[in-house]
Amino acid sequence: MQDLLYFSQQLINGLTIGSTYALIAIGYTMVYGIIGMINFAHGEIYMIGAYTALIAITGLAALGIAWLPLILIVALLCAMIVSSSMGWAVERVAYRPVRGRHRLIPLISAIGMSIFLQNYVHLAQGSRNIGFPALIDGGFNFGSGDGFQMSLSYMQITIFITTLICMTALSLFISRSRTGRACRAVSQDLGMASLLGIDTNRIISATFVIGAALAAVAGLLLGMYYGSVDPLFGFIAGLKAFTAAVLGGIGSIPGAMLGGLILGVAESMTSGYLSGEYKDVISFSLLILILLFKPTGLLGKPEVEKI
Amino acid sequence: MRTSVKQLVTAVSTSVALMGAGHAAAEIQIGIAGPMTGPVAQYGDMQFSGARMAIEQINANGGVMGEELVAVEYDDVCDPKQAVTVANSLVNDGVRFVIGHLCSSSTQPASDIYEDEGILMVTPASTSPEITERGYELVFRTIGLDSMQGPVAGNYIASQNPERVAIVHDKQQYGEGIATAVRDTLKDAGVEIAMFEGITAGDKDFSSLVTKLKQADVDYVYYGGYHPELGLILRQARSADLDARFMGPEGVGNKDINTIAGEAAEGLLVTLPPAFDQKAENQALVKAFEEKGEDPSGPFVLTSYTAVQLVAEGIEAAGSTDPFDVAAALREGTFQTPIGTVEYDKAGDMKSFEFVVYEWHSDGSKTPVN
Repeated sequence: MQDLLYFSQQLINGLTIGSTYALIAIGYTMVYGIIGMINFAHGEIYMIGAYTALIAITGLAALGIAWLPLILIVALLCAMIVSSSMGWAVERVAYRPVRGRHRLIPLISAIGMSIFLQNYVHLAQGSRNIGFPALIDGGFNFGSGDGFQMSLSYMQITIFITTLICMTALSLFISRSRTGRACRAVSQDLGMASLLGIDTNRIISATFVIGAALAAVAGLLLGMYYGSVDPLFGFIAGLKAFTAAVLGGIGSIPGAMLGGLILGVAESMTSGYLSGEYKDVISFSLLILILLFKPTGLLGKPEVEKI
Repeated sequence: MRTSVKQLVTAVSTSVALMGAGHAAAEIQIGIAGPMTGPVAQYGDMQFSGARMAIEQINANGGVMGEELVAVEYDDVCDPKQAVTVANSLVNDGVRFVIGHLCSSSTQPASDIYEDEGILMVTPASTSPEITERGYELVFRTIGLDSMQGPVAGNYIASQNPERVAIVHDKQQYGEGIATAVRDTLKDAGVEIAMFEGITAGDKDFSSLVTKLKQADVDYVYYGGYHPELGLILRQARSADLDARFMGPEGVGNKDINTIAGEAAEGLLVTLPPAFDQKAENQALVKAFEEKGEDPSGPFVLTSYTAVQLVAEGIEAAGSTDPFDVAAALREGTFQTPIGTVEYDKAGDMKSFEFVVYEWHSDGSKTPVN
């Protein structure tokens, strides 16, 4: 019983972190799916989302507003709006002018953008860790009083539910809406879609905006869950989310979700049963193994050369 | 990827610094190298404010051998790679005395370059024993060693008769070094060590670690490392109802841990150098800091002040600005400083340095234990 509780606790820890990886990974995978480039500045967009949410929360607290749902909704909206405009601006400034050139050029442009945004936040907000207020406290406890107690915090539940809502909304949007259909068309063949009258520039911008908005959601959630933000916050999370996207099959949205969850659970199980020191070793070995045996990732489709 | 950009930036700033280096004929340059930015910049603030104050006061009193001290400041971000770049630019700038670095993992690679190039280094904060273990002639410190700090922490935990203790560290030279010293002390005292594990510096998610600590049912957790990680561990441990007392080295003892951990920082145990700013003979100096609007209570402010003072007194005693003569003078002399009487052994360590156990509070204040 004890062992089972311990296992479940580690599973919950892993799924929590995994679902936020998935939210960030969506941004990588959508952009790759549509224009075949890796948006390395995506981690920074997520970090900016977390900072914006923190600023909004602090501002509301200064105004004396203490009603939790209002604070969360306002913080979320602010973060999504700022991140989305950032995502849109990054695409206009750094990617659109170099689109269609050699693959390396947008990649380098993306890395430059990532460094620029990181250092911008360094300058604007300082390089120290800033504490995030714990808005959602408490949770459920399972297990007997004297043995190991499994806890499921309200914060973790919030993360699961929010992720679930975002993922469902995104899937519906992609499969049902007119813009979603256009997204799929553009990802299959950009030139053909454009010939058929789809405004491809608008669709590409929309992809960046959606990815950035989801990253902002993750930024707010993870900021609250962990309790601090710093300007390098996005770099590490971005790297993990990128790994998750590749693991699940880059370009595939369900793949990003699956990859995120697998990566999160692998990390928490490794720290839980082996040692925290091997956490990254195991997750990246997993990535190498999957790429060796299934180069397109778990749910990725083999890329067909377009003639 | 990021390093190469840092190097580029350093290269640019070096060339800017070189352009301005021409006028330094009748001056003695004192390099101050430490983190101005990055996750542990607050320790850098302590270092820079202490060293600047010493340089100002020495210059106000007529300088050293009639020459003015000039501060040349470098940012190493507490990154070993950046520290090497900084050390090389110091060499290029012709600086012969360095106050720094701060993080042991930066001090170690930088000190190799200083020793080769004949630059005298006094670190006000690096506590890793290895730094002075290599028989270097030009390496000194104004702080104690992990091998002194670890036993203080280990003996305190052992004196509380815990059933099980967990030791966690950040896998860096400083953190792992001190965690190992604590582990060895506890083992000798016969305390059961349930866990000895590393985490990755810069990580945010410690839920798995906290779950494991809970499962191991430990009474005490010793953390070797810096405050950004411990702050998050404390916070996540509190929300998971982990019932254990945490303890850490001086790398966690600063007010920033309160902004991260909030209430969860209450009751944290920290080994720190004694509060030099509380000593009666330092009150004039403390006032000088307060007049500038700076806080002299950080653990490295007065050690940095002392480092500059020692370099100045070493130059006076040697009657020369040759770093080797100054090093010889420092080893021979006895110096009265804000951190007490300083005498050096052959390795460049102070003959005595004391660490004290403090209890940290959620408002950022601390009280000595026992």
